Amino acid sequence: MDLAALWLTLRLAVGTTAILLVVALPLAWWIASGRGAGRALVQAVVALPLVLPPTVLGFYLLVALGPLSAPGRLLMRVLGHPLAFSFTGLLVGSVLYSLPFAVQPLVAGFSAVDGAYVEAAAGLGASPWRTFWSVVLPLTRGSLLTSAVLTFTHTVGEFGVVLMLGGNIPGATQTLSIALYNQVEEFNYAAANRTALLLVAFSLMTLVVVYWRSAGRRVVLG
Amino acid sequence: MADLFQPASPQGSAVYPQISRLSVQLRHNVGKLQIDVKFELTQPWTILFGPSGSGKTTILRAITGLFQPDFAHIVDHPESVSSNQPGIDLIDTTNGLCLPPHKRGMVLASQKPSLFPHRTVLQNIRFGLHGAREVAEQKHLDERNETVPRLFRIEHLLHQRPDELSGGETQRVHLARATMARRIHVLLLDEPFTGLDRELRDELITDLVAWQERSRVPILSVTHDVTEAFQLGAEVIKIAEGRIVRQGPVAEVLAGERERLLQQLNASKESRA
Repeated sequence: MDLAALWLTLRLAVGTTAILLVVALPLAWWIASGRGAGRALVQAVVALPLVLPPTVLGFYLLVALGPLSAPGRLLMRVLGHPLAFSFTGLLVGSVLYSLPFAVQPLVAGFSAVDGAYVEAAAGLGASPWRTFWSVVLPLTRGSLLTSAVLTFTHTVGEFGVVLMLGGNIPGATQTLSIALYNQVEEFNYAAANRTALLLVAFSLMTLVVVYWRSAGRRVVLG
Repeated sequence: MADLFQPASPQGSAVYPQISRLSVQLRHNVGKLQIDVKFELTQPWTILFGPSGSGKTTILRAITGLFQPDFAHIVDHPESVSSNQPGIDLIDTTNGLCLPPHKRGMVLASQKPSLFPHRTVLQNIRFGLHGAREVAEQKHLDERNETVPRLFRIEHLLHQRPDELSGGETQRVHLARATMARRIHVLLLDEPFTGLDRELRDELITDLVAWQERSRVPILSVTHDVTEAFQLGAEVIKIAEGRIVRQGPVAEVLAGERERLLQQLNASKESRA
């Protein structure tokens, strides 16, 4: 069992989920309540990682974060090392790659909230900020959970972006899915089987928890 | 219920200090309908009376700020400000001024009750009490918290969830919640009695009148029901196709409607006899 890879994977998934919830909440609220061409464009960009091969995203990030681009060079000067092939680099890639999984359930949840509640709250003197936290968000708890769980599991199962961007460095950028790839390449099928089983069990468990928690309630998956 | 909010002095009750007069001027085109109205709320209870589709709800929503008309100048004159001073512009499209809904103090009880489903009745009615800045204000809000449930006869429901309430109870809580709002200058009611049985409607009107006698908060309500208008004995602004036809006491403005109603009643009596 590759404990270093497991630990790295969990850290990456937790970090990505935390960052994405902070990013996705305002973004999803803006998409759900906005209108116009800008909104369509943002929605398309957010959904892009769903349709692009992960290697494309990984490639562009590799270029953008590496010494070939101006932002990459700036980052290198600030950090002292290139962002690519580091844990932080993986985090950036994961955040972008899982963005639609965090945003889309929230957009669906927010869109389903009856506008009458929002209007009533405003009439009773609640600022948009208070309305969001005390009316909208409690009414969309299910979507919030779905968003978090999907982001987490999707990050755990990530492969292409991590391989392109992280490079397969044990302890630093080698996640479970990459470790599995290595084990197969080395014909170590017993180890590969353990890693694969772990991933299957973990994913199945989280999904069961989500569906069980949302039994009887309407849940938006995907 | 006599001393609910302290003596009803000419200065207004201490629990509801922000009594105001509202002047409304707005123009808006919605499809074929051209709304063009100008009126002032001078009486405690004013009714916008007109058939459905005459623009009544649009006017209410423009006052609350939930809807922005092509042209509007709506001014709130708090009683605490002397009458020769300018009031608060809620919206002045000519000068590009527009207060957001939550800062206007125009509390609308919509036709369809919108109790927050995740909150108990108590949490619902207390929603608008949030944000007192001073101890004295907090005391007044506590007092409302104490008296309003009694006034609207919902004391026994406070710990229930909205989905456990009957239609009538929901409507009571809905109105109670609106009257509790911390910053209420005017209470706007969009056909709140539609679909309720006679008895319940009478009860609710009694409760609202009792609340208003004490709070002195002006009410602007919308209806197309002649009986209801007479029952409230209020000032009536009669609207047809987006314009004001007449404004005055109900007995004058709706005399024709009443006559017609009585004739219909007689006719049906005769046909039965």
